[in-house]
Amino acid sequence: MIDHRIFEDLQTKIDEETHVRDELQEIVQTLARRGRSTQAIISRAHSTPSDQLKPVLDTATKEIIAQKAEVTRLKAVADQHPFYKYNGLWTRELQNLVTAIELCAWLGGFEEYKSADSSEFLTIEDVGKFLDVPVNLKEEDAFHLTIEEYLLSLIAMAEELSRLAVNSVTLGDYTRPVQIGRFIKDLFAGFQLLNLKNDVLRKRGDGMKYSVKKVEDVVYDLSLRNLIPKGSAAA
Amino acid sequence: MTSRRHRVQHSLIDTTPSIHRDMTGTKRSWEGDPLVDKTKPTNTAKNNNADANAAMDEPSSKVLSIFGTFRDELDEHHDRRERIIKTSRDITALSKKIIFSLQRTRTIKSSLPPTIAKETTTRFDQIHSLFTSLAPDLTAVNTWRYQRNISPGIQEFIEALSFHHYILTQELITKEEVQAKLPREVLVTEEDYLMGLFDLTGEIMRFAVTGLSSGAATSAKSQEKQEGNKGEVGEGDGGAEGELRMLPEFQAGLVVDLRAMRALFEMLSVPRRHHMLRDFGKKMDVMQSSVEKVEKAAYGILVRGSERPAGWMPDLSHAVDVESY
Repeated sequence: MIDHRIFEDLQTKIDEETHVRDELQEIVQTLARRGRSTQAIISRAHSTPSDQLKPVLDTATKEIIAQKAEVTRLKAVADQHPFYKYNGLWTRELQNLVTAIELCAWLGGFEEYKSADSSEFLTIEDVGKFLDVPVNLKEEDAFHLTIEEYLLSLIAMAEELSRLAVNSVTLGDYTRPVQIGRFIKDLFAGFQLLNLKNDVLRKRGDGMKYSVKKVEDVVYDLSLRNLIPKGSAAA
Repeated sequence: MTSRRHRVQHSLIDTTPSIHRDMTGTKRSWEGDPLVDKTKPTNTAKNNNADANAAMDEPSSKVLSIFGTFRDELDEHHDRRERIIKTSRDITALSKKIIFSLQRTRTIKSSLPPTIAKETTTRFDQIHSLFTSLAPDLTAVNTWRYQRNISPGIQEFIEALSFHHYILTQELITKEEVQAKLPREVLVTEEDYLMGLFDLTGEIMRFAVTGLSSGAATSAKSQEKQEGNKGEVGEGDGGAEGELRMLPEFQAGLVVDLRAMRALFEMLSVPRRHHMLRDFGKKMDVMQSSVEKVEKAAYGILVRGSERPAGWMPDLSHAVDVESY
């Protein structure tokens, strides 16, 4: 005899889970929408000379802070459920947000959140402090930013910066590609320290060498034509 | 090591422009240029290099130390993940063996033959200790983190356990009963449970089809008539002319149960945005065809059963052993 209740219980559970998913999805969609507009603002950096970047960064920061509010909302709902059960729903958008934050930081924003004054990027702890979320929780089952998410964001940031290196030259800025080259190479050296297994991090991390190469090519072209300003070699 | 290589590349990039800059105008004769002119620029270039290296060392070591921490964390994660995947595979293999042994029985709702009972008990014990060994890796946040990695093992285990339960009681095991067989840290999700039940229909299908074709159907009847002789099974069935041909009760029970399960599975509605949807559709197809196979087999036995040569047996020597037991 087959007990009907077993299937009725299953249906109840499926419905409950669907409800949770819908609730989270709604927040994630808002986050995604705002994320796209943040991205659009930041991409103005590709066509803005670095001395006029301030307003762009300010607008981007405003948008990022609006996204931060969504993250807080997301955290409140997600904290009621096992973290890794639904992590897949928002991980993409959270990564995009962290990428945006890191790009702004590199371009000179978020100074007050950088742990070291000379720092060009925010550490995972810095990002966590800004977003007001815990990072890399190993025991507690609560909403947090994972190492993988942070690293994937850095890879995306490197890709965007390599594009910026090309566009900086178009804007007549021959110093920035050198800075970008140095930064990306540091980052790449860091990634080479990791023992990556066959996962998404490995796949995306492998792609990073193309970003490095892209910037190196730009720097090479500039140096070949003697276009790099004298002081920037040490910068 | 890598970082040093980059630094070397970098210094090359750094030096070239300064050389060029100092030699603008004499570009063409660069190769043949007297060395005297070159000394001065190379000196400055070297200074530049040193500066560049000094400036680079600071952030670079910072990046490296951060990534060093990440490496340790990721290594820990990968090790744990691999441990879990390996154990999950072992559990799958053991569960499959249990299922194979159980497929050798021909009875339902009665205790298992001692050999098979002993075999399955040892295997279930082995599985249990495997699960227990994983418990420390599946605490707190890790319960769900590695759920996807342990899930195949759990599903196969549920398949074995529910099949075992079904053969003994002819009932479906509940999710709570499954959970009770596992350490607390090992989570039985609705998804795994449901997928396990889907696979169970496949096992019941095999069980039923083997039972029907091996003549167990009729032998049950014969047993009632005190005609234990298997050689006469075909004749006995054929002789019942005019009588309404019916499957023996427990074979009919299997068909009824499978149909009921099919109907209940089909009643479940899994929304499009639910993550289990993809597997669900695939498993549903397999389940439906399993049920149909059994229905066809039952039909075939009823219509053509008598036409089989007397004493015909599929090559299932072990099954016969069990039957005679």
